[in-house]
Amino acid sequence: MASSADIARALLIAARDGPAVASCTVMGATDGVEIALGAKMLVYEDNNLGEIGGGPLEAAVAEFGRRAIPKHLVQTCAFTPGGELVEGRRAIEAADAIVEILVEVVEPASTLLVVGGGHVGLAVGQLGAMLGMEVAIIDDREDYANEDRFPYEANVICGDFGEELERFPISANTYIVLVSRGHKVDELALRAVAERGAGYVGMIGSKRRTRTVLQHLAEEGIDPQALDRVFTPIGLDIGAETPEEIAVSVLGEIILVRRGGGAQPMSEHGRMLASIRR
Amino acid sequence: MPQDEVYEAMSSAFEQGAPVALATVAQTLGSTPRKTGAKMLVREDGTFVGTIGGGCGEAEVWQEAMDALDDGDARMVTVDLTEPVDGEDKICGGIMRIFVERLEA
Repeated sequence: MASSADIARALLIAARDGPAVASCTVMGATDGVEIALGAKMLVYEDNNLGEIGGGPLEAAVAEFGRRAIPKHLVQTCAFTPGGELVEGRRAIEAADAIVEILVEVVEPASTLLVVGGGHVGLAVGQLGAMLGMEVAIIDDREDYANEDRFPYEANVICGDFGEELERFPISANTYIVLVSRGHKVDELALRAVAERGAGYVGMIGSKRRTRTVLQHLAEEGIDPQALDRVFTPIGLDIGAETPEEIAVSVLGEIILVRRGGGAQPMSEHGRMLASIRR
Repeated sequence: MPQDEVYEAMSSAFEQGAPVALATVAQTLGSTPRKTGAKMLVREDGTFVGTIGGGCGEAEVWQEAMDALDDGDARMVTVDLTEPVDGEDKICGGIMRIFVERLEA
């Protein structure tokens, strides 16, 4: 059986280096349910560590945890002792017996790689830092790539775009925003990152210009599927104008990719307004 | 939200054979300073790592953590931040349910 020390070590590894794990902890149970409070199970993509009492409940929680990983979920859920997920306050209150499980995906902070240290890059990085991402900013101009320019924690890299991007580690937990000074640099940068499995690649620019960039790279033999996955023009359609507003639109799109969602106003009124304006 | 500091402190406590108490936000209602999953780890000497919300209810949870280190019982603590505290500016306006447990290697 996995000891608390094994679990703690595994969580530390997941938080530092990954891969992501869904940590599932029994936090409560109605009287009469035989289950140890605090019991923990770590659910990985293809195996589990620790146990929460076995049976159909454990199997159901493991399945739920596995599906939580790509959604980066942190949520307390209610299950029946027989392993049925119970949703909504009313259903939970009506149930005879409930086991409360905190399911939290533990993984390294995601990286926001901003290509271009101009006004938009500055704002995108700032918002990313606010969201708890590890921000890296690349530019080849010293005026736009120095620590003083960025009033937040960022790994500021000054150097040749192509070389620096090739060196930069990229994983599914890396979110890349191409907002350099021009589409020539964006094209060069996209060439360096398109096929490397980033969680998100977005490129700023008008429809016409970005189409030209994608066309060039397709002709060069860059994987067409990878090019299809590029979010360009970048961002959610919220009418953003200023660099800061564009940052909100871009990070909104990144949150949408990470968490899923409808990207619509929550309210009826908001949806109506949006459809009229469109 | 990365929690590596908390897990690091937990691992090193276990390496030394020391128990810890872990407080984890299980659920929030209304406006609360931290969200579900936020953690505070409390050592036997009372020092702690991480936060479940600065001033808002943290002292109360710390005390529960010290008690859990003592008696070993896991517990759910409800912190109600909707009531103004006399002479203190700690009004956050929500309710947090926090799971407090004693852990040892």
